[in-house]
Amino acid sequence: MLHVAQILSYGILNGALYGLVALGLSLVFGVMNYLMVAHGGLIMLASYTTFWAFFYTRIDPFLFIVVVTPLFFVIGWILFKILFQSLMKFPEGEKIKNSLLISFGLLLIFSNLAILFWTADERAVTTVYTGKVVQVLGVRLPYIGLGGVALAIIVIIALHLFLTRTYFGKAIRAVSLDHEAATLMGINVNRVCLVAFSIGSALAGIPGVLTSLNAFNPAISFDLTNKALIVLILAGFGSIKGVLIGGLLLGAIEAGGVYLVGTPYREVFGLILFVLILMFRPQGLAGKKA
Amino acid sequence: MKHILLLAGIVIGLALVPLVITKAYILNLIILISLYTVLSHSWNILGGLTGQISLGHSTFFGIGALVFRYLWVMGAPSYLALCGGSISSLLLASAIGFPAFKLKGHYFAIGTLALSMIAIITVQNLFPGVSFSPPQYLSKYSLVPIYYMAVTVSIIAIGLVYALTRSKLGLAFISIREDEDAAEAIGINTFKYKVISMSLSTLIAGLGGGLFSFYVASYYYYVPFELGWSFDPVLIAFIGGPGTVIGPLIGSVCFVLLKELFAINLGQMNVLIFGIVFILTILFLPEGLIGLMKRLQKAKRFGLSGRLRDGSI
Repeated sequence: MLHVAQILSYGILNGALYGLVALGLSLVFGVMNYLMVAHGGLIMLASYTTFWAFFYTRIDPFLFIVVVTPLFFVIGWILFKILFQSLMKFPEGEKIKNSLLISFGLLLIFSNLAILFWTADERAVTTVYTGKVVQVLGVRLPYIGLGGVALAIIVIIALHLFLTRTYFGKAIRAVSLDHEAATLMGINVNRVCLVAFSIGSALAGIPGVLTSLNAFNPAISFDLTNKALIVLILAGFGSIKGVLIGGLLLGAIEAGGVYLVGTPYREVFGLILFVLILMFRPQGLAGKKA
Repeated sequence: MKHILLLAGIVIGLALVPLVITKAYILNLIILISLYTVLSHSWNILGGLTGQISLGHSTFFGIGALVFRYLWVMGAPSYLALCGGSISSLLLASAIGFPAFKLKGHYFAIGTLALSMIAIITVQNLFPGVSFSPPQYLSKYSLVPIYYMAVTVSIIAIGLVYALTRSKLGLAFISIREDEDAAEAIGINTFKYKVISMSLSTLIAGLGGGLFSFYVASYYYYVPFELGWSFDPVLIAFIGGPGTVIGPLIGSVCFVLLKELFAINLGQMNVLIFGIVFILTILFLPEGLIGLMKRLQKAKRFGLSGRLRDGSI
C-alpha cells in the first residue's frame, strides 16, 4: 500500500511539472492557433541558462526565475517578429501546419545548438537540498518536487488571474475567441499576439529552472514537447485551467504504468493514451465538440 | 526519346561506377545519397504528394531494418530479405498506420510522432543488444553489392514517384493535398487514396530500412528507429521540393555532402544548417530548391521581354 502511495505521489509531483511545461504551449495555441512544438526546446535552453548562471554565481536556482523568465520573454518577442508574424495572414489550417513545421525546425536547431555548445552529456544543478526528502505518513516527498508543485499552482493561478482580471488579459481572451471581431472592437490583434507569444515563451523559463534541478541533456527538448502535447490534448486545446489537471492526470497515468509494467515503459503509457485520445476525441478529453 | 536515352545513359553510368572507381569513399557517398533519397522519397509520397505530414517514418524504416536483418541472419538471400522487410513495414502500417488516418491534418503529424516514440522505446527495451551481419558475409564485406542494391532501390523509388506524378492515382493524391474536403466533394474516396499512399510510402521506407541494415555491418537494434530517421526526410524533402521527382534527390545530395563536410569536427552541424535552411524554405520558398530553379529560369526567359512589354526599357 505504501509502495503504491509512493509511486502515485511521485507521479503527481511529476505531473505538476508537466502542467507547467504545457502552460506556454497551451496559451500560444489558444490565442493564435500556433502549434509551437519548439516549446520543449525553449525549456531545455532555459535549463542550460539556469545551469550556467548557477555555475558562476552559486545562488539558489529558484531565484533565477526572476532572470530567466524575462530573458525568454525577449527571446519569444524576437522569434515572433522574425518567424511567426508572417503566418498571421494564413487561414487556420495553414497556420497550424506552417507553425508546426517552422517550430519543428526550431526544435531541431535548439537541440543541435545545445549539443554543439554543451555536448550531449547529462548535467544537473546540485543544491544543498538536492535529494533531501520530507516524510509524510511514510511517503517520501523530495523538496524539489514539492517546490515544483507550489510553483505550478502559483504560476497557473497568476496566469488565470492575469487573463480574467486585467484589461490586457481581456484583450488576449477576445483575440483568442475571434481575430476579426477583436479587430473591429479596436484591439490591436498583432500586438496582442506578439505579447501573448512572448508570455508563452517566458513561461518556458519556469519549468526550465525546475528541469535543471534534475538530470537533463539536449534530448529532453523532444520529451518535454511530447509531454506538453499530451497534456494539451488531455486538458483540451487552449484551456489554461485544464492544464494543471491534465498534467496531474498524465503524471498519475505514468505512475500507474510504472506500477503495472515497470519503469522502462513509463513514457509509452502516456503516448498510447495520447494517440487514442487523438483518434477518438480529437477535441481533447474536456473539450467540447467543435 | 531524348529522355529515355538520357535515362539509359545514367543507369549504365551508375552501373559502371564500381568498375571504374575503386575508392571506397566515393561508393560510400553514393550509397548514403541513395539511402537518403529512398527515405525522403518514401516520405515524399505521403507528405509531398498527398499532403499528410508524417513525423513517424522512423518506425517503418526501423521495422524494415529489423526484419531484413533477422531474415538475412536466418540465411535468406539479401534481395528476398529486402522484400520481407518492405512487406513487414507495410503490415505494421496496416496495423497502426491506417487507423492513424482517423487523425486529420496536424493531428496526423503529432500522432505519428508519438507512434515513432512508442516504437523506439519498445525496441530499446525488447532488443537491448547489438545486431551483427551474418559472419560468413562479414568476412568478405564489400561495398559493391551494397552499391548496386542502393542504386537499384533508389531508382525504384524515384521511378515510382515519377510514375505517380504522371498518373491518375497521383492526381488523386494531389487533390487530397490541395483540399481534402473539396476532393471528397468531387467524389474521390479520400480514405482509400490515403491508405494507398501510405502503403506505397511504407513499402519504400521498408526498402530503405533493409538497405540500411545491409550497409551498416553492426549497430544497436534501436538505431534505425531513432527519431532522426523521421526528421531528416522531412527536412530533405522540403528543402529539395516536396511533391517533386528530383527535389528529394537534390536535397539528399546537399544533406549528405554537408554531413560529410562537418562530420570530422562538428558532428551535428549539418542538421543545424539544414534546420535553418528548412525554416527559410518554409517561409520564403514553399516549393523548395526546385521551385527556386524554376523561378530563376522563368525570370531569365521572361525578364527582358516582360520589361519590354511594360515599356520600362
